[in-house]
Amino acid sequence: MRGYVKNCVICLASPSVLNVSNLTKYYGKFKALDSVSFEVEKGWVYGYLGPNGAGKTTTIRIMLGLLKPNQGEVQIAGANPSKNPVHALQSVGYASELPTLQTFFTAEQLLDFMGKMFGLPMQTRREKTEQLLDLVGLKEWGKKKIGTYSKGMVQRLSVALALINDPMVLIMDEPTIGMDPEATAHFRSLFTSLSKDGKTIFISSHLLDEVQRICTHVGMINKGKIVFSGPIEQILEDFTQQWVVEAELEKVTENIVSSLKALMFAKDVKVDGNKLTIELKEKKDVRGEISSEIFQQKGVLLSLNLRKITLEDAYLQALKGGQ
Amino acid sequence: MDALGRVAVIAGYEWRRALAKKKVLALIILAIAFQTLIMVALRQLFVGGFSINEASSLIWISGVLEGGLFVQLIAIIVGGGSMSEEYEHGTADILLSKPIKRVEYMSGKFLGGFSLLAMVEGLTTFVGVILSLWFFGAQSGLQFAPLMFLAIVYSSLIFFCLSFMFSELFRGSTIAMLFALGILFASSILSTILGFLYGNLSRVFPTWAATSFPPLLMSELITAPSTGLLAADTGALYEAALIIAVYAIVFILIAAFRLLKSDVTKKTA
Repeated sequence: MRGYVKNCVICLASPSVLNVSNLTKYYGKFKALDSVSFEVEKGWVYGYLGPNGAGKTTTIRIMLGLLKPNQGEVQIAGANPSKNPVHALQSVGYASELPTLQTFFTAEQLLDFMGKMFGLPMQTRREKTEQLLDLVGLKEWGKKKIGTYSKGMVQRLSVALALINDPMVLIMDEPTIGMDPEATAHFRSLFTSLSKDGKTIFISSHLLDEVQRICTHVGMINKGKIVFSGPIEQILEDFTQQWVVEAELEKVTENIVSSLKALMFAKDVKVDGNKLTIELKEKKDVRGEISSEIFQQKGVLLSLNLRKITLEDAYLQALKGGQ
Repeated sequence: MDALGRVAVIAGYEWRRALAKKKVLALIILAIAFQTLIMVALRQLFVGGFSINEASSLIWISGVLEGGLFVQLIAIIVGGGSMSEEYEHGTADILLSKPIKRVEYMSGKFLGGFSLLAMVEGLTTFVGVILSLWFFGAQSGLQFAPLMFLAIVYSSLIFFCLSFMFSELFRGSTIAMLFALGILFASSILSTILGFLYGNLSRVFPTWAATSFPPLLMSELITAPSTGLLAADTGALYEAALIIAVYAIVFILIAAFRLLKSDVTKKTA
């Protein structure tokens, strides 16, 4: 009773469905997470980005109560999954990356078993099983052992399993990995429609294009630290609404860089080997001015392009500490 | 769904999982085949010279106990794979990311595995009785067969719990089973040697209680009062019962401590 009251107080105090605060996790001496904090509110599709080994899966496993953090805590629907998994995970659906499911079950049996774990009555389990197998395109395979499925089919079944309890929060680790392009498109539109139905979706992904298409918010993690967390519009405004001129030179000198930085329209100039990226204050084709400036500084220009920067640029910049 | 419901769901799952493993089914078949073979051999022994005396009407006890070694092996295999195979296959993640407490999960796993083992022991008890009736005719003291079955179930707790504990400690099924088997054989050898040299000292080893409890109970109930074949030793009977309980509780507490205090490891195989 005490726990229930406590949970309700937390629910009222915080509008977020998922609250990750100050998570720190060590594996031996290795610090996998360093004070990771973010919030996800109802209806958000939150894309969690980061390179391999950044701490994405560790965060997810702590969110599911599988790992115990050294510091900090997670609240899902007002409950801590480590301390009160029955309450916290009742309304959570989870699809893991390339899952290994129980191969001795058929898809129907596994969906039914997972329904039992959520305490669903038999009639509901039957209806949900039929509906979900149809939704993920495995209706014909429902009575076959999972051991006979391809990777893509297992991934699709994993999404169906995550939906068996009609969850309020969906946590998915690389949900479309291993799927063919048609299935990927189908699942992207499924996630968008689930979000429109008010479900909160947390997606860990490497696919920036996927994240840009379906997410409303983004969190970026690198070396165990959050480097950006906020609405996708913000990151697009901060980064992808910008225009850049990319110049490849035979040799980049200090003089060239400082003279380009002094130009009125240049916001910043970044150097990467013999390549220059000149961020512009506004969209304007200034390639002529840039090439003449380089020429005046005795530089040899090999190529010059004007383009809008992508989420990938933003991602890479954020990872480098640009944000 | 309440805690008991969640434990029952995992216990049912454990049955399906264990029965899906061909090695468990193979051991059940081997246990029954071994029992049949021994009964045939005993029958030949009696026909070929031994007079069929009063003891043949109690042959069902030996018929039931002969499956003992296989029962301990099945206990080790079922217990040793129970927790560890979920880690090896990566399915522990799927189960423990559901609304269930770790202690409920472990209880379900334990009860599912142990009830499956009890079912196998029930089957071997039944087969032992049937074979005795078939080969040796009417048997006496059969009213104690259910008690005999319960004694076998209880005595198998030690090695089931030991293997279950290793299963959670090592989170690898092969190493868990090897350790449990190693202890079974080492304990068996040491308790025999120490029993020969120092008498009661052998009783501290788990094999003594595991293998002595059912015959001691039968001796108490049937053989001593009716035939005087074995002297009843009530003190030893209670001692065996207590040792089984202590070992089982200690092993389970260690397994629970490990599960509750540590992270769920990712797929290991």
